[in-house]
Amino acid sequence: MLNKQLALDVINYASSSGADFVEIFDEDTIRHAYTVENNKVDSSSVSETSGVGLRLLKGTRSVYGSTSDKSRKSLMKLAETLSKSFEGERELSELTSFDNVKIKQIHKRKTPVSAVPVEDIISLLKKASSIISDYDKRIVRSIVGMSITENKIEIFNSNGKHYKDNKEYSRLTMMSVASENGKIETRFDGPGNQGGWDYFAKEIDVEKIARNNAEKVILMLGAKECPSGKMPVVIGNGWGGVIFHEACGHQLEATSVAKGLSVFSNMKGQQIANTCVSAYDDGSLSNEWGSNSVDDEGGIPQKNELIKDGILTGYLVDYFNSRRMNDKPNGVSRRESYKYEPTSRMSNTYIAPGKSTEEEIIQATKLGIYAVSFNGGSVDPSTGDFNFGCSEAYIIKDGKIGKPVRGATLVGNARDILKHIDMVGNNLAFGQGMCGSASGSIPVNVGQPTIRVDEIVVGGRGGSINEF
Amino acid sequence: MNFKKYFEKANEAGITSSELTSSTSTSFSFSLFKGELVSYNIDTSRRLSSRGIYEGKMGFGTTENDSSDSADFLINAIKLTASLNESDDEPIIYEGGTSYKKFTLNSKNLKARKTEEKIKICKEIEQKLQNYDSRISDVEVYYSDNYSERILANSFGLNLKETNNYFVISASVVIKDGEEIKSNYDSYFGVNPEEFNIDEFCKNIVEKGLGKLHGESIKAGKYKAVFSRESVSALLNALLSNVSSEQIQKHSSRLEGKLNTKVLSDKLTVYEKPHLRNIFYTYFDDEGVATQDKVIFEKGVLKTYFYNLVTAKKDGVETTGNASRRGNKMGITFGNIIVKNGRLSEEELFKKIKNGVYITDVSGLHAGLDSTSGDFSLQAEGFHVENGVKSKPLTLFTVSGNIFELFNDIIAVGNNSKLLINSTTTPSIAFKNLKISAE
Repeated sequence: MLNKQLALDVINYASSSGADFVEIFDEDTIRHAYTVENNKVDSSSVSETSGVGLRLLKGTRSVYGSTSDKSRKSLMKLAETLSKSFEGERELSELTSFDNVKIKQIHKRKTPVSAVPVEDIISLLKKASSIISDYDKRIVRSIVGMSITENKIEIFNSNGKHYKDNKEYSRLTMMSVASENGKIETRFDGPGNQGGWDYFAKEIDVEKIARNNAEKVILMLGAKECPSGKMPVVIGNGWGGVIFHEACGHQLEATSVAKGLSVFSNMKGQQIANTCVSAYDDGSLSNEWGSNSVDDEGGIPQKNELIKDGILTGYLVDYFNSRRMNDKPNGVSRRESYKYEPTSRMSNTYIAPGKSTEEEIIQATKLGIYAVSFNGGSVDPSTGDFNFGCSEAYIIKDGKIGKPVRGATLVGNARDILKHIDMVGNNLAFGQGMCGSASGSIPVNVGQPTIRVDEIVVGGRGGSINEF
Repeated sequence: MNFKKYFEKANEAGITSSELTSSTSTSFSFSLFKGELVSYNIDTSRRLSSRGIYEGKMGFGTTENDSSDSADFLINAIKLTASLNESDDEPIIYEGGTSYKKFTLNSKNLKARKTEEKIKICKEIEQKLQNYDSRISDVEVYYSDNYSERILANSFGLNLKETNNYFVISASVVIKDGEEIKSNYDSYFGVNPEEFNIDEFCKNIVEKGLGKLHGESIKAGKYKAVFSRESVSALLNALLSNVSSEQIQKHSSRLEGKLNTKVLSDKLTVYEKPHLRNIFYTYFDDEGVATQDKVIFEKGVLKTYFYNLVTAKKDGVETTGNASRRGNKMGITFGNIIVKNGRLSEEELFKKIKNGVYITDVSGLHAGLDSTSGDFSLQAEGFHVENGVKSKPLTLFTVSGNIFELFNDIIAVGNNSKLLINSTTTPSIAFKNLKISAE
C-alpha cells in the first residue's frame, strides 16, 4: 500500500490548479477461486488486482484517473495530467499530515475463509456437487464453486483524512444443468457473505441448498411454458427483491437523480407506492453481502429510509452528487475497484415486512403466477421500464400453488408497479447478487418478504392462463 | 518482467512448460451533461497472466502488480492451482507451427487527436441533439478511446504481439411529451475519427426516439416479424454459444451430434472472419494459435464447432483458433461474425410479411434468454407492420420463443448488413412465427 508521504505529495500536486477536493483510493486485492464440476476440481485460480485511483473535484466537475503502476513517478504523472483539466490557482491549502480515522468494524469474522485449509473448502464443494449430480440422471452437469476476495483499501483525501479497511467477500455458487429429449434447463444458487467460514459451515445448510438446486432443476425441466398476459403475480421473498432493486432502487441512486434523469427525481414527499410499501437500503448490516464498514469514499454506511408508507422519503447520495442535490451524502458511495470512480449504489436494499403470511397472500389470489426465483433483470432509469426473468414459477389457481411453469418474464414500469403492490408479507429474507452499473460490478443483497402485485404483464409462451 | 528469465525461473520451480500473457491498456473517456464535462477518466493498467504445467496438470495465475515479486507470485499460483486440478483435460502449451496473418490496425489520426478536439465534437453533438426537437428534455454524450497491446509468449519460444486502438461515441436522449417519457441511445465506434458523421448520428438517435412516442398496444398472439440488425445479433450470439466444442463435450448444447446436419433455415449462412480489418480483428487466440476464417452455418447446415487445443484433441480434430482465457480456465470464444446478406431491403422485408411487427430492440437478455435451452422471453420495442409498411409504434410488450426454432423459420434475409458493437455483422431478418405477449 502507498506510504503517507507519497499520498501527501500526490494530493498536494493534484490540487495545485484549483481542485477543491482530491482523493486517493489505494487497493490490493487477492482473489482465490475454486470450481468443482461433476465432483472433480475442474479449475482454480489465484489473481491479484492492485492499483490506485485518483479523483479531483471542482464544483460539479470531476476528473478521475487510475493506474496499476503505484510508483511515485507514475502517480505524480497522473496527478499532473488530471490537474491540467482545471485551470486556476490553488484553492486548498497544502496538507502536511493525515488523521487516521478509526473505522468500527461491523463484520464479525471469526475464521476468515482465506485462512481455511483449501482441502476443507474443496471437500464442501465436492459434497454439494455430488448431491446435485446424484439426484437424478437427467442432471448432466453440476458446477459448484467458491470465490474468496480479500480486499485491502486505503483512502486519503484533501480534508486530511485517512481511512483503512480490510474486507473479505466469499461466495458459494451452484449451477446445475439438466437435459431431456433436447430440452435443457439450468438452475443457479449463490449464497454469499462477509462473516467468514462460519457462514458456510454453520449458518447455512449447504447440503440442503444443493438438494433444492437439484430438485428445482428437474422440476423446471418438466414444467410447461408460462402463460402470458396481464395478471396478478405473487413474488417470493429473498431473491424476489430483485424487482424492487431494478424497478425502484436504481432510480433512487443520486447518479441519475442528481441530473434529473430518474423517473423519481424531485419527488421527495410524494406518494410513489401503495401505502403498504416501506423500503430501506442498509449498508451497515453485520456480515451481509452488500455491507461495508466504510464506503469507498470514507462515508459511514447507515440504514437509509427510501419509502415510508408509500411516500418517497430519501435517495442514495454520494459526496460528488450531493453537490448537485440539496442532500447530504449517506454512506452509499461504492466502486468495483480502483479503476472506477465511486458513485451512489445500493447495498442491502429491501421492502420492509408487513403483516400477511405467505399462505394468506397465496389464498387471496384466485388466478395468477407465483414467481419464486429470478435470473435477474434490467431497467432504463429515464423511462422506468424494467424487465426480469423468472427461473422458478408456479400457477396459482383458486388460492393454491399449482403446476410449475418455465420461461416467465415480468415487464412493467417502475411508476406503475409500486402502486400495484397490494399485499406485503411478514417473511423478509435476502438474496445475494452482483449489481452492474456506473461504478462497476459490486456485491449487493436484494430483499423482501413475499409480496403481491395485483397486475403486471407476464411474457411467456404458454398461451392464456385460463387454459391452465 | 523479462519473459525469458521468467520461463527459466518457472522451469527451475518444476513448471515444465509455461506461457505468459501481458495485456496493457490505456483508455480515456469523458461525458457531457448540460454542456458541462461531468466526468473525465484516464486509466492505464497492465495485467500479467500465466499458466503452466506442473506435475502433469495445468495451473494459472494473474497479477496486476508488475514488481520484482510478480514472478514468484505467478509461479506459486500455478503450483497451487495445478496441484488442486483434477480435470482429465490434457494440459497443452502450444509449441507453434502455424503461420500467422498479421496486420496492424492502428490509427495515427486517432492517436494524434487532441483532447480539446474530442470534447469539441461531443459538445457539438450535444448541441445538435438538444436543438433537434423541443420535446428533448435531456441529453448525455459519452466518449471513450482505448489503446491496447497484447503479448503472448511461451517457453517454446512463441512470441506474438498485437496492438489495437479505437474510439466510441455514445449519446442518449430523453424525450418528454406530456406525461409520456421515451429514451433512445446509440453509439458509434471506429478507428478513424474522419469517418464519423455527426449529422447522421444525431438524426438517427432523435428520429428513432421520437418514433417511439404515442404507441399503440398490441394484441397478444403469433405474428410474422422483421427483426432489426441489432435484435438479430442479440439472439444470434446466444445461438452461437452453442457451437462451442466445450458446451458440446459437456452435453450442454442442443447442437451436440449435429455436425453437417441442417439445423437452421437454408436461407441462413453465417461465417466467422477474425481477419476482417475492423476493430475486432485478431490474428492469434489465447493459446497463441493463429485464428482462421470459417463457415459456421452454410445454408442452415452446421459446418464446424469452435475448438481450442484441448477440446480439439479430445475430438481428434485440429483447433479452429477459438481459445479464450476466462480467468482460471481456457475456454472458447468467437468474434467478427458475418451473416450473409440476402436480396431484400428492410422495406422489402416489410412488404414480404405484409402484416406483422417490426422488432427494433430486445432487452433483458441476461435474465430472459437461456442460451443453452434457446428459450427466450424478452422485453421488446417495435412497430406494427400494416399492408407492407412500418406503421405505429407499440407500447410495452414481450416477445417469446426459442432461438433454434426462430432461426429455422426464416421468411427472408435482408441486404442491409452492418457491423455492430457486439462484433456481429448482420442484416435484418424476417421470421415466420413470433409470439407476442402484452396487456
